[in-house]
Amino acid sequence: MKEQLSALIDDEFEISNADHLLIAAKSNGELKQAWMSYHLIRDAMRGNIPQCGQMTGRVMAALEDEPTQIAPAAAIINAAMVKKPVYKTSRFWSVAASVAAVMFVGLMLFQSRSIDENALNPIEIADNMPTEYITAHQTYAPNSASYYVQDASFTEPR
Amino acid sequence: MSKWMLACGLWCASLNVQALDDPWIVLQKTAFAARELNYQGIFVYQNGNQMRSVQITHMNHGGHELTRNIVMDGQPREVLSQGSDIVIYNAQNDKVVIEKRRGQNLFPAMFPTNLDALKASYEAKFGVVERVAGRDAQVVELVPNDSFRYGYRVWADTEFGLLLKMILTSSSNEILEQIGFTQLSMMNTRDIDWFQPKIDASKSYVMEDAAEVNHVTDNWVIANLPPGYRKIDHIMIAVPGKSVPVNQLIFSDGIASVSLFIEPIIKGTRPKMGHKQVGSTHICANVVDGYQVVVVGEVPAETVRQISRAVSFRKQALVDK
Repeated sequence: MKEQLSALIDDEFEISNADHLLIAAKSNGELKQAWMSYHLIRDAMRGNIPQCGQMTGRVMAALEDEPTQIAPAAAIINAAMVKKPVYKTSRFWSVAASVAAVMFVGLMLFQSRSIDENALNPIEIADNMPTEYITAHQTYAPNSASYYVQDASFTEPR
Repeated sequence: MSKWMLACGLWCASLNVQALDDPWIVLQKTAFAARELNYQGIFVYQNGNQMRSVQITHMNHGGHELTRNIVMDGQPREVLSQGSDIVIYNAQNDKVVIEKRRGQNLFPAMFPTNLDALKASYEAKFGVVERVAGRDAQVVELVPNDSFRYGYRVWADTEFGLLLKMILTSSSNEILEQIGFTQLSMMNTRDIDWFQPKIDASKSYVMEDAAEVNHVTDNWVIANLPPGYRKIDHIMIAVPGKSVPVNQLIFSDGIASVSLFIEPIIKGTRPKMGHKQVGSTHICANVVDGYQVVVVGEVPAETVRQISRAVSFRKQALVDK
């Protein structure tokens, strides 16, 4: 429905079929909001928003009027520190919890990395001949004529 | 007149073809001849850049097969077999290590007596007649039906039916492995005093610790084997340098065999990955769900790769079966 509304605003929707949209835009809160937003967006895209240039100036002026405060919250914090020991403050516990969580996650990452290092770093058999498997195959498989060809190095560990 | 002679010639030729019309029968004959005849000779085995000469003596002594193989190159090694019991004497520096094995199809008994499994995966064709080890031999080509196995060329003695030579060929017809007699003679004696190892009194004889198969755990599923391959054995072996026994599953299509090794990856060890070829042997290593999976076989790379991918693990703890 919002898509149809957007199309209607852009003149891409048959207005004679748009009664339901207009009724909905008048009554329904969400669709009314959309109706207004789309118009604002369209106006902004066409550069039709008159106050835009004056906004910065108004904000700066308001800031000028604010009185200057030096360390405004210091007094309040001091009062709080005197009242409660550090470990009783909620801020302490939230920091402690964060530290513990970071350490826990870090430890897990560290541990999983130490396992993965082996798994992710396999031995390429093209570089490192798995002679123990070849020997076992030649020893137990039938029809293996290579039975006679076992290298000295193949039988060495036996 | 000449027409009649041609017809006669064709009829004679067809008779000759009929006598030899099934190459499978020639292969089956090699399986029986290797087990039933009494012979001695020397054969050479070559795989990749390795070569060994082996002296063989075989006798069928009242229904019991006795074989002695002496490896003549490299590390001294004697293989004595009686039926399917095989004892290997490995001479090392100061000792002789004795290993016991079971049921190998050793040369020249490379083919099983039942060829049904092979017929599903290969086509057999007659080749020419060639001389091998001074004897006439009928060539039979075993052509694979798919790319999951190599081809074989077999030379069978025309007189005794014995397998004289066999080569393993890749799809591009390259020779990967060969084994064949260079010298062969039939024995007339019934004497079996040759059936003993050469004992070296200066060395101590040590029995190799046999791998105990106490329990077999299998929480894996092998879903999609290459066509024609069946599981023929499952053993637990002790691999040197490993603290836990390793599962070895053996698959075969009747002649080619592939070993699949499965073991849990122990924390702190680096798993093996990748692919390698040594002569006719392909090796593929993979990690599946925290298990090390290694596949080794004298088969094309595609076959070891597919078997290594066929393994999946059920989501449960290892349970003794």
